[in-house]
Amino acid sequence: MGIQEQYRNEAAELLSSGAVKLVIGYGGGSTPDRRRPVFVRSAEEVSRLVLDSYCVANLSAYLISEGLLSDGKNVAVFLKPDGIRSVNILSAEAQVNPDQVVILGFNIEGEQTTPLPGRKAADYAPLMESLRSSGLSPELQREADRLEQMSAVERFDYWKEQFAKCIKCYACRQVCPMCYCRRCIVDVNQPQWINTSSHTLGNFEWNIVRAFHLAGRCVACGGCDRACPVNIPLRLINHRMSKETLDIFGHFPGESADQKPVLATFRQDDPETFIL
Amino acid sequence: MAKIGVFVCHCGENIASMVDTGKLVTTISEHPGVAFSSEYKYFCSDPGQETVKKAIRENNLTGVVVAACSPRMHEQTFRKACAEAGLNPYMLELANIREQCSWVHTDKIQATDKAIEITRSLVEKVKRNNNLQPISVPVTRRAMVIGGGVAGIQAALDIASAGREVILVEREPSIGGHMAQLSETFPTLDCSQCILTPRMVEAVQHPNITVMTYSEVEEVDGYIGNFTVKVRQKARYVKMETCTGCGDCIQKCPVKKIPSDFECGLGNRTAIYTPFAQAVPNVPVIDRDRCTYFKNGKCKICQKTCQIDSIDFEQQDRMVSLEVGAIVVATGFQVQNTALYGEYGYGRYKDVITGLHFERLASASGPTAGKILRPSDGKEPETIVFLQCAGSRDAAKGVKYCSKICCMYTAKHAMLYAHKVHHGKTRIFYMDIRAAGKGYDEFTRRAIEEDQAGYIRGRVSKLYEENGKLIVRGVDTLLGKPVEVEADMVVLATAMIPQPDAKEFAKRIGIGYDEYGFYNEAHLKLRPVETATAGIYLAGACQSPKDIPDSVAQASAAAAKVLGLFSKEQLEREPVVASVSDSTCAGCWGCVIACPYNAIDRRDITDRNGNLIKRVASVNPGLCQGCGTCVSFCRSNSIDLAGFTEKQIFAEVMGL
Ligand SMILES: Cc1cc2nc3c(=O)[nH]c(=O)nc-3n(C[C@H](O)[C@H](O)[C@H](O)COP(=O)(O)OP(=O)(O)OC[C@H]3O[C@@H](n4cnc5c(N)ncnc54)[C@H](O)[C@@H]3O)c2cc1C
Ligand code: SF4
Ligand code: SF4
Ligand code: SF4
Ligand code: SF4
Repeated sequence: MGIQEQYRNEAAELLSSGAVKLVIGYGGGSTPDRRRPVFVRSAEEVSRLVLDSYCVANLSAYLISEGLLSDGKNVAVFLKPDGIRSVNILSAEAQVNPDQVVILGFNIEGEQTTPLPGRKAADYAPLMESLRSSGLSPELQREADRLEQMSAVERFDYWKEQFAKCIKCYACRQVCPMCYCRRCIVDVNQPQWINTSSHTLGNFEWNIVRAFHLAGRCVACGGCDRACPVNIPLRLINHRMSKETLDIFGHFPGESADQKPVLATFRQDDPETFIL
Repeated sequence: MAKIGVFVCHCGENIASMVDTGKLVTTISEHPGVAFSSEYKYFCSDPGQETVKKAIRENNLTGVVVAACSPRMHEQTFRKACAEAGLNPYMLELANIREQCSWVHTDKIQATDKAIEITRSLVEKVKRNNNLQPISVPVTRRAMVIGGGVAGIQAALDIASAGREVILVEREPSIGGHMAQLSETFPTLDCSQCILTPRMVEAVQHPNITVMTYSEVEEVDGYIGNFTVKVRQKARYVKMETCTGCGDCIQKCPVKKIPSDFECGLGNRTAIYTPFAQAVPNVPVIDRDRCTYFKNGKCKICQKTCQIDSIDFEQQDRMVSLEVGAIVVATGFQVQNTALYGEYGYGRYKDVITGLHFERLASASGPTAGKILRPSDGKEPETIVFLQCAGSRDAAKGVKYCSKICCMYTAKHAMLYAHKVHHGKTRIFYMDIRAAGKGYDEFTRRAIEEDQAGYIRGRVSKLYEENGKLIVRGVDTLLGKPVEVEADMVVLATAMIPQPDAKEFAKRIGIGYDEYGFYNEAHLKLRPVETATAGIYLAGACQSPKDIPDSVAQASAAAAKVLGLFSKEQLEREPVVASVSDSTCAGCWGCVIACPYNAIDRRDITDRNGNLIKRVASVNPGLCQGCGTCVSFCRSNSIDLAGFTEKQIFAEVMGL
């Protein structure tokens, strides 16, 4: 039995036994290599579920839909390791109750899709530990290294060029599980901290604020990167911030559901390299 | 419409010499909203403040900007002036054109431009200021004194005698501190125990003082007037309530050869012990690490001996949480040991001792009953060499500072020795004799003139043992000649240093310290007994090396500060507090974690039927200190700080 079949059966069982009220999974998309989210509410519908190496989106973002979990009922969701990390973050930040989330975990390696044993976020603790040392894909790493080699001025120019393309569609925000704010800072206009126009300053302000808001929270699912209609390599900014919090504070985002937000905590042995 | 008054201060020459104040006034007077502007030599002076008040009244000003020094310096002054003229004091802003402008620039034209920008940005801010009302918070009128040395005891007694409750926390089994170890005290040579013990007894018996010995402060929460202190009461294994202090258990305890800290290792104690005979409270403790029962599960001789069943091997450490309004830190000092210098034998020679050892030898209640006998063989030394500044005033190997008391106690030691061993000879190597203080110079003169203290100005380069003698080699810098003395005993006046855990302790209770670990006062000259943390005060040698008169004087000063704070039932607090916008808060609780004062709670918002709609963060204005940490943390900008609202800050920044 293939993994898709196995998980369809599992979903059917979860739904028919009443263990969950909803399964959030992947379905066929507009082209053969695209997948779109599907929301399955009864065992009869499980045949809509698809699971293969094209299922890359981080579906945890749907868990924060207003009111979804407020009735106390459980929801099952298909998640890759990055998605499990975001469930941990959302739990740590009190946005979801991890007990209500049944995880149908899987991993993609090349063309291969393999199941990940475990059903609750906490079951994946050993996996989280092993992820700590995992880096970027080779090609992204090459790009990251290239940026790292640049002088500050060159790097600034690079990002200026990239950000110049931004059309302020906020797709990056919409796709991000961690962007659950009821009112995003970019929508604050009294005072208007961030220019909403798509000019250099406004684009810089937006993208830098977004990067800061994801410092120590980004799980590198690449959602923003894929969502961006103008192909800004957003993942690279987030990666840089993650590297920073990992190197300086040993913080690996989404490691556990009781992880404290790195920017809100203080330890006596925190390095104070930023104090001149 | 905003009517802002701008007052440009010359600060004598401080500002006027680098900023063209006339140009500043004319430029700013044209800025929208500025209804009045003027300049003056010293606005903080009486006539200066009158000008401000008059201008407020006559022009119905709605806001005031004083372009002068820092808010830390004069914000209060001008707030008061505003209030007296009928303007809400929070409608004032200080534009700092001194520290942040005139003092740090050398180009008058650029400095003037900068001063204009700074002032303009504050005008833009003050236009958006709101009237704020001070917050009243209740004061818990009970003090905690940490450290039961002479400083702590004095502070506790003074506060208690004025009618306020005090909790005195001491980590050793007895109060008394170093003074309990001293023999006689300069400059009067009165017996240390005789003047201290009555005060120790007075402290435990005082109805307003609760003495907690063998206890350590683990955590301090809260703020001035409202601290919560967690104290660990270590298990004594002896019941405080019933023990009569008869000491039978101590007599019978079979483990007798434990070097006593109180005797600086010159004497021994048992596993169940009081540090010294006059200990207060006179209730022993069991040293768990040395007790045979705790080690092997067998013995309990003390328990069998105790007639009233006061030994309790089951006792556990107890955590108590105490509410106090003020804290006096009086945790004292330590003396550096003799192992500090290679040239003095690295602590290898038994007869090279510290001044504190000497105190124990000279003390009537000490291990030698007051006879000066050297540690190695118990013989009376014929010649004693004293080395002053052993570790002090030595940037290379020791500490830079002067330990302040060593000149005096070395003279004292020379005298005590002369009184006890009439034929004894003393040689004191010194750098300077620092004897400033009432009766101090007279005291050292007396040592030289009446008690033949032999002072040699110079340092010692080598000290070694030969044929049972300690050979001390140095130079007499006055004669310019090398000297060599054969001594029977050498006393090092080692430096007075902070407690080994001083820095860690300071972090725990939230006060500052210097490079050594002595605690920092708020202002060396003007606020010497306050720390930078409101409501926490300092007394005694934990701040800097001090003798008894200084320690006691500072303790009384700290007590006066505490009593001043306790003179009112309510404390007025700055209304600079944060508040959360319920509609946008996402309930991520980041601010709850980030707030260093634990001032943010979770609050449920419910509908009329009590159903939960959402949970939001909620700031307790009594606890909020206005630090702004939550404001900068909140991603969705759901928190604002009164007096520093986003709108104000934004206007201020855009005004630049
Ligand atoms: C050799 C020598 C001779 C001296 N001779 C004289 C003299 O003749 N005349 C004179 O005026 N002065 C003399 N002094 C100085 C005198 O000893 C000090 O001025 C005085 O002891 C300072 O008192 P204190 O209360 O500040 O500190 P201490 O006496 O050190 O008392 C501090 C107390 O706090 C306690 N403590 C520390 N940390 C904690 C904690 N975290 N929690 C709870 N409790 C804590 C300690 O156990 C101790 O009981 C002499 C000093 C020395 C070293
Ligand atoms: S960008 Fe920041 S403020 Fe906006 S939704 Fe994301 S986390 Fe919230
Ligand atoms: S998705 Fe791309 S274009 Fe859209 S707001 Fe984000 S960075 Fe800008
Ligand atoms: S024998 Fe009992 S009463 Fe006497 S000192 Fe010891 S514990 Fe206290
Ligand atoms: S940080 Fe902001 S969003 Fe999060 S709980 Fe506090 S006020 Fe609410």
